[in-house]
Amino acid sequence: MKKTHKIGGTNVLLTVLLFLGCLTVLFPLYMTVIIAFKSPTEMTNDIAGALSFPSTWNFSNFSEAMRVTNFWHSLGNSFLITAVTIVLAVLLHSMAGYAIGRNMARKKGYKLIYFYIVSGMFVPFAILMMPLVKQTAIMGLDNRLGVIILYLVFYMPMNVMLYSGYLKNVPLAMEEAANIDGASTWKTYWTIIFPMMKPMHATVAVLTALGTWNDVMTPLVIMSSSEDTTLPLAQLNFQTQFGTNYNLAFASYLLALIPILIFYIFCQKQIIGGIANGAVKG
Amino acid sequence: MRRKHVVSSLILAGAVLSTLPLSGCAGTSKNDGKTEVTMVQYKPEAVAAFEEMEERFNATHDDIHLTIESPNEAMTVLKTRFIRGDYPDIIGIGGDINYSNFLDADMFLDVSDFEGVSGIKPAYLDIVDELEFIPKDGVYGLPYVANCAGILYNKDMFEENGWEIPATWSEFTDLCETIQNTSDVYPLYLGYKDTWTCMAPWNALAVGLSSPSTCSDVNAGKTTFTDAYQEVAEKDKVLLDYAEPNPYAYSYNDACTAFARGESAMYPIGSYAVPQIQSVNPDMNIDSFVFPANEDEADNVLNSGVDLQFCVMKETKHKDAVYEVLKFLYDDETIQIYLDNQNAVPCKDGDFTLPSMLDGMRSYIDEGRMSDFHDHHYPSEMSVDAMVQTYLMDDSSDSTAKFLKRFDKEWKRYNRDLIAKVQKYEEENAS
Amino acid sequence: MSKRKALSSNNRTYLAMTIPIVILFFLFNTLPLITGAVYSFTNYRGYGTFDFVGLRNYIDLFSDERVLHSYLFTFKYAIAGTILINCLSLLLAMGLNSRIRCKSLLRGVYFVPNILGGLIVGYIFSFIFTYIIPAVGKAMHIGFLENSILASERYAWIGVLVVGVWQAVAMNTIIYISGLQTVPADIYEAGMIDGANPWQKFWKLTFPMLLPFVSINLILSTKNMMMVFDQIMSLTKGGPAQSTESISYLIYKNGMDGGQFGFQSANAVVFFIVIVAFSIIQMKITGKKEEQL
Repeated sequence: MKKTHKIGGTNVLLTVLLFLGCLTVLFPLYMTVIIAFKSPTEMTNDIAGALSFPSTWNFSNFSEAMRVTNFWHSLGNSFLITAVTIVLAVLLHSMAGYAIGRNMARKKGYKLIYFYIVSGMFVPFAILMMPLVKQTAIMGLDNRLGVIILYLVFYMPMNVMLYSGYLKNVPLAMEEAANIDGASTWKTYWTIIFPMMKPMHATVAVLTALGTWNDVMTPLVIMSSSEDTTLPLAQLNFQTQFGTNYNLAFASYLLALIPILIFYIFCQKQIIGGIANGAVKG
Repeated sequence: MRRKHVVSSLILAGAVLSTLPLSGCAGTSKNDGKTEVTMVQYKPEAVAAFEEMEERFNATHDDIHLTIESPNEAMTVLKTRFIRGDYPDIIGIGGDINYSNFLDADMFLDVSDFEGVSGIKPAYLDIVDELEFIPKDGVYGLPYVANCAGILYNKDMFEENGWEIPATWSEFTDLCETIQNTSDVYPLYLGYKDTWTCMAPWNALAVGLSSPSTCSDVNAGKTTFTDAYQEVAEKDKVLLDYAEPNPYAYSYNDACTAFARGESAMYPIGSYAVPQIQSVNPDMNIDSFVFPANEDEADNVLNSGVDLQFCVMKETKHKDAVYEVLKFLYDDETIQIYLDNQNAVPCKDGDFTLPSMLDGMRSYIDEGRMSDFHDHHYPSEMSVDAMVQTYLMDDSSDSTAKFLKRFDKEWKRYNRDLIAKVQKYEEENAS
Repeated sequence: MSKRKALSSNNRTYLAMTIPIVILFFLFNTLPLITGAVYSFTNYRGYGTFDFVGLRNYIDLFSDERVLHSYLFTFKYAIAGTILINCLSLLLAMGLNSRIRCKSLLRGVYFVPNILGGLIVGYIFSFIFTYIIPAVGKAMHIGFLENSILASERYAWIGVLVVGVWQAVAMNTIIYISGLQTVPADIYEAGMIDGANPWQKFWKLTFPMLLPFVSINLILSTKNMMMVFDQIMSLTKGGPAQSTESISYLIYKNGMDGGQFGFQSANAVVFFIVIVAFSIIQMKITGKKEEQL
């Protein structure tokens, strides 16, 4: 370690480098923010004009965007779908990931199931779409519940893979000890393993939320009632065949970005602080 | 004990899922003795106009309740509704290949006995007829409004410089030369990064230089695109000389903004682009003229197609109520609601107020001198727009010949089933 | 209680944890896939009537230049993308996991690209590629920068790649960060004593512990890159001159928007088989590596 760069235990050079790298994100974000505040008449192809501040910083684009998308209603729907998906994904996928991960080294059957589920990840959605529309309609699932079930299935391969991969680094010793004490696998799982996988729960939650929060296609084709509109669906209002209102759209996208960003920062804390807690409990 | 755990895990998924009150109940139980008519129309930008129509209709009708839906991504929504077997009574779609396909799949009702048919301009009824793959008796699409394409121009700029509206191809190229040599704006601005924008001048040239039945003639083996589109392809390439360099870098939106900011004098696009242009520059004075594709003004034809038409689904259970709705929609006052909201040309004969940017095309509209967008006949999976872009980017000397040969070859491949069907039909009807 | 009985009860618990998931997966993934595969033998348009056409769609597939080109593009894109993403996100994860200031802020910022919608990404990067970079190129007299990269038939894929990697790095970084949490601190202390330099420490100590995550990330990024769609929709729509049409783009555009549902189902089936084969090879290789260590 180059001790010279360390002041009070932090690596200054690395911090600076990472901040420089941030520019690749902050510059596009800057453009997004100023466009969200501009009016359509301020749009131009001239670089200086495009990068300049808006003439006034008022929030009318944001309030108009909220009106057009029926913001609170669509946000509620998006929130409901995403939250239920995450909770179920963490409960169900972790269980399956555990059962598969702990057995696939010894039993062919589990190995087969693992490959079966993981290979499902590579099915192009376009081929599933039409059969799924028909199938969900027949099963009475052309609603939010259907969308949630589909998300659980779509993210199953990734999540099962993540959970069983994570378990490879979790030693068997504690489970074996619990088993000798006479605890059932079921109990061992919920009292020892599940809490220990907290960093992975947070990771799975973030990655699943990422995919569901911005998804347009699944709710668009599956839900038959326009009552249940999600935020990304409502945001299609800004784009029509022959014209796009970028100013309103960008304002709306910025609003939609905030909840998921907060959720991510919250989960990051769990990912980092998680392992120690789990170990203490075990 | 253990068994209980096992069982509980089995039902965990089901239990959690089923207790959640998630299945949204749509308000379908509004049935207080009224006949419910549902319509889905594909232009979300016209939602305000349709909401007003819906409100007016329901206020004046006691026995029928009309619901008009204007979903985003309407074609996807419609197709998924068809898969579910959830058919609306009326659909409002464009006069394009989707209509041809739906009709070919036998989804529409013959509405020739609707009294409003006689009020519709014959030119537009013909355009819709021409969209049938195989000639079919009856009326299946009721044209409502049309859009027009040609060249939009900056009226103030033309007046300041004393430029004249060209009526022939030579006048047009001369004008472009003049603009290029005497001013610092581009004659044309092209947003060819978006492939569909490549089709605007292509269509406008094609209606002027080839027959409106070109595609069905090819299907029937009467001509080839190599013969029919030679001049179209050549002239389309000439336009590049008068536009900004490297037009493939600029999108439709870039081109609208550039034209609105006065970077070019003209913009070969349809009337549909006007709202986007005016959102950037609301005070801009825009007018239009018919694409001067020919050397003789009398040969020029306005490029106009059906932007919105109503089709009645075969599955409808209350035809009378549907006709009542259609009658209301074709009322002059109702049509004017739409026209005031959108820059459109009504397909019904009558005395309507047209948007001013169509002044330059007015005489063609009144005379019915118009012809449909050729790409309304191209199968979308063939991606003719991308082929045209590829052709325009190709600098080699034999690019036109190569492109037209490819056009003929791919056409045969993508329309194989259709050509077989048409030829079978012709054989049966010849005997 | 005999040991055998306990074992079999454990096995039952494992089965109970797995079976509901497998049933769900079969119902909503495999079943529709089978239905879709049946359509690949028809000329179905997505609605209306259809006929069975035998193997015609599959025969056409192998003689279709456009499909062939989309495979070449997708593979070129996926290989370059997977390598770039994994190198960058591993570096970023190590950086964000080390002792730095403003950790939460930095982690938050690097996460943003992944949540920006397609419309924003399309507009902003088109603007950068169309106006800003060429202006920089002109000012500095760098020839190849003077024209928009997205308008170049040869290089447009690089533009799409830059944006694709920019967006994807966030997700793989999260996975690497959580992987790094499983590396216990005490193995570093052991390394310190040996006097190993950071480079050796990484390859000898950290990397082996990270291997399961490397393997997961390789598969996930291969999958995401192979199925590239959003970036193409928002940046090039397959252009210029059809040079950036990916397989997913073609399947969606012609199968859903166009009337080629049957033909594109055949394409999807073949694509599925190809990509599964590809990943199995990948898993076998990384699996061997894991066993060796």
